[in-house]
Amino acid sequence: MFNLPTTNIGGQELFVLEFGDIVAYFSPYTTALFVFALIFTALAIVSRPEKQMDIAFGGDAYYAKVVDPELMRFQRFMAIACGLATLGAMVTGDVFNFTLFASLVGITNIGIVAAYRNRHVLNAAFQYGIVAMLATVPLFGGAAIVVASTGTLSMWELFTGAVAVPLIAKAFLVLGVMGEGMAPFYVAKAEITRAQGAPFILMVHVSSLLLFLRVAEIVISM
Amino acid sequence: MIEYLLFATFIGLLFHGIHRKVIARVQGRPGPPIWQEILHTLKFSFKETWIPKTASQTLFVAVVFVAIGIWSGALFILLSGGSLLLLFAVYLLHKIVEHGMGLSSGSPYGKFGAIRSVISAASELPLLATVAVIYLFTGSLSIADIAAYQQVHGPLLILAFPAAAAMYLVILSKMHYGPFSIIEAKEIVSGNMTEHFGVWRAGLEVGFALKTYVLLYAFVLLFIGPLPLGLALLLMLLVLISLSFVCAVTPMLSPYDTVTIQSLVTGALVIYIIVLGVVMG
Repeated sequence: MFNLPTTNIGGQELFVLEFGDIVAYFSPYTTALFVFALIFTALAIVSRPEKQMDIAFGGDAYYAKVVDPELMRFQRFMAIACGLATLGAMVTGDVFNFTLFASLVGITNIGIVAAYRNRHVLNAAFQYGIVAMLATVPLFGGAAIVVASTGTLSMWELFTGAVAVPLIAKAFLVLGVMGEGMAPFYVAKAEITRAQGAPFILMVHVSSLLLFLRVAEIVISM
Repeated sequence: MIEYLLFATFIGLLFHGIHRKVIARVQGRPGPPIWQEILHTLKFSFKETWIPKTASQTLFVAVVFVAIGIWSGALFILLSGGSLLLLFAVYLLHKIVEHGMGLSSGSPYGKFGAIRSVISAASELPLLATVAVIYLFTGSLSIADIAAYQQVHGPLLILAFPAAAAMYLVILSKMHYGPFSIIEAKEIVSGNMTEHFGVWRAGLEVGFALKTYVLLYAFVLLFIGPLPLGLALLLMLLVLISLSFVCAVTPMLSPYDTVTIQSLVTGALVIYIIVLGVVMG
């Protein structure tokens, strides 16, 4: 039943993992992304945050920021949740499940950043939250157009040449992932990454890049 | 594979040395000997090593292994004719290494480097456009298929010159001392690498040497075609020297200017893709 078309750009299917009607598939491409997400999720579990040193401009003074254990626990929880959602998004074989995992990544990313009590970071997190919310419309809209036009959300069906997915659905999926993965904020709101907690903040970057890589595979294969 | 990995590391470090030498000669300085980067790596391997007290210790060390791991993987993908998309993925994941390297130390200079690495995420856009153009021409993202296509139809350097130019910009973005090297600019000491010294720096040098080798080899393989190793190395050296000239005569751009240039190049390539799509039906 689960045999990916051999022309799939992610390479030959290695094996599938069934959880009821949720089916994950591992190709060389998805496996590589999965392993990378796993490494950084493990790092978020075992790492302690850094103690940031800040320079007081206009003099020689500098000061070390204190690590708040409560903040660290919350950020770690969110980073692990983000890692698990990313793991799911990397190997899922269903477009709707992919969008669900992508939106979960968006929510947890807000959580990681918004936990930090700094005015600039909180402002950036608030604006990111708005974009992430808006991005759910094209994200789920893209999946809805896929199912409405083809009658299926299964990648095994969609990746065959027999099924034509409208270009607008693909564009919506990419747009949605860009919003959830905070890609536009990399340039426009880079201060979002100044928050303390390197292993957890890094998870924001990891998840968004991996989501982008996965959606690229999905839209090219469809 | 291990011997090829060592060979690629050695050549990559030698290329870094040649890069420094060419820049110096263009700028009228004597410059270091071309094996300087190999000596640097050996020197760092035996220097005293510790982890800064302020660092996120596990992450501080892990990024070094991730850097070596992903570029070793990229070399394997290239040699085995694997997926170009996977190579693109490695390039993107390198951004995480740069970011993690800077953030994990706790140093303000490392942090500034990390933030600049986030800003310079625009350097991935020309690569994505390049991948799209190659796919339009060859109908495949397998490096083996792309190489086979060129043996029949001729090099993509001629057929898809704008894509080759964009890929050239991608490699330039990753070169040391170049106009896009904002993450390791001297106004922020060594940027995200400031706190990595001793054996950690040696590990990073190895990872970056592999990166240079892989990117130059990928350029030759994707736009000229499969060649005997000696000839491929010669072409890689020529590409490197041309990059060194650009680095020598171009001042470092401001962070947002790098984004503007990379976005403009991507925009031009998108127009090229649309025109190509119309022409090719």
